[in-house]
Amino acid sequence: MFYENKKNLYLLIVAIFLFALNSLNIFYGTPMVPDQHWAQKIFYLHVPSAWVGFLSYFIAMISGFLFLSTKKDKWDITGTACAEIGTLFMSLVLITGPIWATPIWGKPWIWEPRLTTTLILFLTYVGYFMMRSFGGNIERVKKTSAVIAIIAFLNVPIIFFSVQFWSPELQSHPQVEMNQQPTGILIPFLISLFVFSFIFFVMLSYRKYVISINKNLTNNV
Amino acid sequence: MDLLKLIHKELRAEILNKEIIITMLSFGLSIIVIISFTSNLSKQIIEAYAPGLFWLMILFVTVLGVHRSYAYEKEFNAIDLILSAPIDRGLIFIAKALSGFIFITLMQALIVFPYFTFLSIDIDVNFFLLILSTLLINLTLMFVSNLISGISMRARISEILFPVLLFPLISPLIIAATNITNSIINQAPYIEWQVWIYLLISILIVFGLSGYALFDFILEE
Repeated sequence: MFYENKKNLYLLIVAIFLFALNSLNIFYGTPMVPDQHWAQKIFYLHVPSAWVGFLSYFIAMISGFLFLSTKKDKWDITGTACAEIGTLFMSLVLITGPIWATPIWGKPWIWEPRLTTTLILFLTYVGYFMMRSFGGNIERVKKTSAVIAIIAFLNVPIIFFSVQFWSPELQSHPQVEMNQQPTGILIPFLISLFVFSFIFFVMLSYRKYVISINKNLTNNV
Repeated sequence: MDLLKLIHKELRAEILNKEIIITMLSFGLSIIVIISFTSNLSKQIIEAYAPGLFWLMILFVTVLGVHRSYAYEKEFNAIDLILSAPIDRGLIFIAKALSGFIFITLMQALIVFPYFTFLSIDIDVNFFLLILSTLLINLTLMFVSNLISGISMRARISEILFPVLLFPLISPLIIAATNITNSIINQAPYIEWQVWIYLLISILIVFGLSGYALFDFILEE
């Protein structure tokens, strides 16, 4: 079992502890922004979720390259695990984004480039999972999934700029640039970013273990 | 030389049975009729939406045509014979994209008159610019759709996977195509819409090179 290994168990306990501490800090340790009030608190979840989502998809792309060049199963497992975790965090971004936007912009969706890029990447990964589930021959599916992960990430700057140029008058992210944030907001944000990144690596090692166990079971049947 | 032979093979197959062109043309005409019935709007609104509707129709027609072109190879196991030939597999991708470009351009030439007639749109534009930009859009459209069709070709539910994967990835191209055509129809100066041409060229380079480099992995068993 994964958690019979003491190191994995300690990492899980630390991740839960950090998550709880981070949540308390967001609620009680961060200042209220005058024009946003409680709605602004979602920023400490929304932006780190987006960071982890894009990091996952970036690692999925790198794993895709490595799988195609080395044909080693470990890269397919890493790529799949990253795709799963990335999609989970991208879903969080797509849920928290409109919740945050509603009181700020007056409506949940205004085709903001970062959120739109997230939505299009998310939809591409829906296709990725459909390919993994209904693709047929498993060896071929591994290769096509790696190719999808590569082109999905290569498409990110193209999507971002196309949406930005498409309707520039609509674009106004509710948050000012990070380097202009007061330290009262910046430090809790960086803590949250670290906690989310830590949770990502704990989740990644667990998902990789589960996927490899499933693979071994399927191969032995 | 190999590329020319592959393009010749695609064109010859199409000249013999005319399946792709007839499918695309009849489907395109049906879409125009449906658009005409469902858009009982003022002339100004229709004219404003015309470029977007046109590219939407072309996207649907592309899905049908490109999927048919790959389904062919699958039906008769022709792809295995092509793969056994001593040719660069990247060239198969380029040949498919270029022959698709010829088919879609031919189909557009036949359908553009009914489109503007049925929707009662009068246009007074620089036809040289319109044709040139349409050729660039068609070429890019074919490179992207052929790469995705190649990825989904051998999947169990390829006819569903192809549009599910294609639509999110192709959204920047559709935004660019609509804006370019709109700008030309509205006689906007080139400086205002050159950004879309650059974006289109970026998509062409990214997907063209990715397709050429990755098609070998997509097709190998």
